[in-house]
Amino acid sequence: MGSSKIIKTIAQKLFPFIVLFGFYLISHGHLSPGGGFQGGVVLGTAIILLALSHSIEQTEKKFKSRWLNMLEKLGILTLFFLGFLGIFFGYSFLGNFLPLGEPGQIASSGLMLPFNIAIGIKVFAGVSVIFYALVRYRGEI
Amino acid sequence: MKKVFFIVIILVMAILCILSVDIEYGNPKNLDVANYYIDQGLHDTGATNLVAAVYLGYRAYDTLIETIVLFVAVAGVVFCLRGKR
Repeated sequence: MGSSKIIKTIAQKLFPFIVLFGFYLISHGHLSPGGGFQGGVVLGTAIILLALSHSIEQTEKKFKSRWLNMLEKLGILTLFFLGFLGIFFGYSFLGNFLPLGEPGQIASSGLMLPFNIAIGIKVFAGVSVIFYALVRYRGEI
Repeated sequence: MKKVFFIVIILVMAILCILSVDIEYGNPKNLDVANYYIDQGLHDTGATNLVAAVYLGYRAYDTLIETIVLFVAVAGVVFCLRGKR
């Protein structure tokens, strides 16, 4: 079951822009509306678009299910690791130990950018894993 | 027995609805925490987005447990869809 050429081409051209928008939402989460959860879901939508326009096998060749599973666990472990680093530097659990910086810059507000990146990776991998499971065990596209 | 139970529940909900008419929703008494976040959020966390200042700065525990909830949800979906192996 293949889609028509128009859908395939438009999905291919649209894919990098969706990924770019997802990265923008994640990295500017502490400056403007957005954040890790929303950006991660947008990144997951990019993979769902590829799988719906092309076949699921081609998508799984590029974005392997094993790596996505590992990324999901890695996100949670990164969050815990950053939280315990706060204790190591003498603050509370999940406390901020980086300098705050100038408000409005991308490198401001300390630990929020690493937190957002970890949450974004975790949500992206989670949404993709759910979609792969739905496709693999409950019918084909 | 079931009908009596439902009637009691509906009566209690009706009484609560009638009582809640008198509450002033536009003028709550306890705004101290919200006003503190609005005043000191930028100074404490350095984030210009106040929502991020609350959910990653003041209440980071909430976000941590929320990611664990999503993790358990993904594990449950995969486990339920996989069936008997």
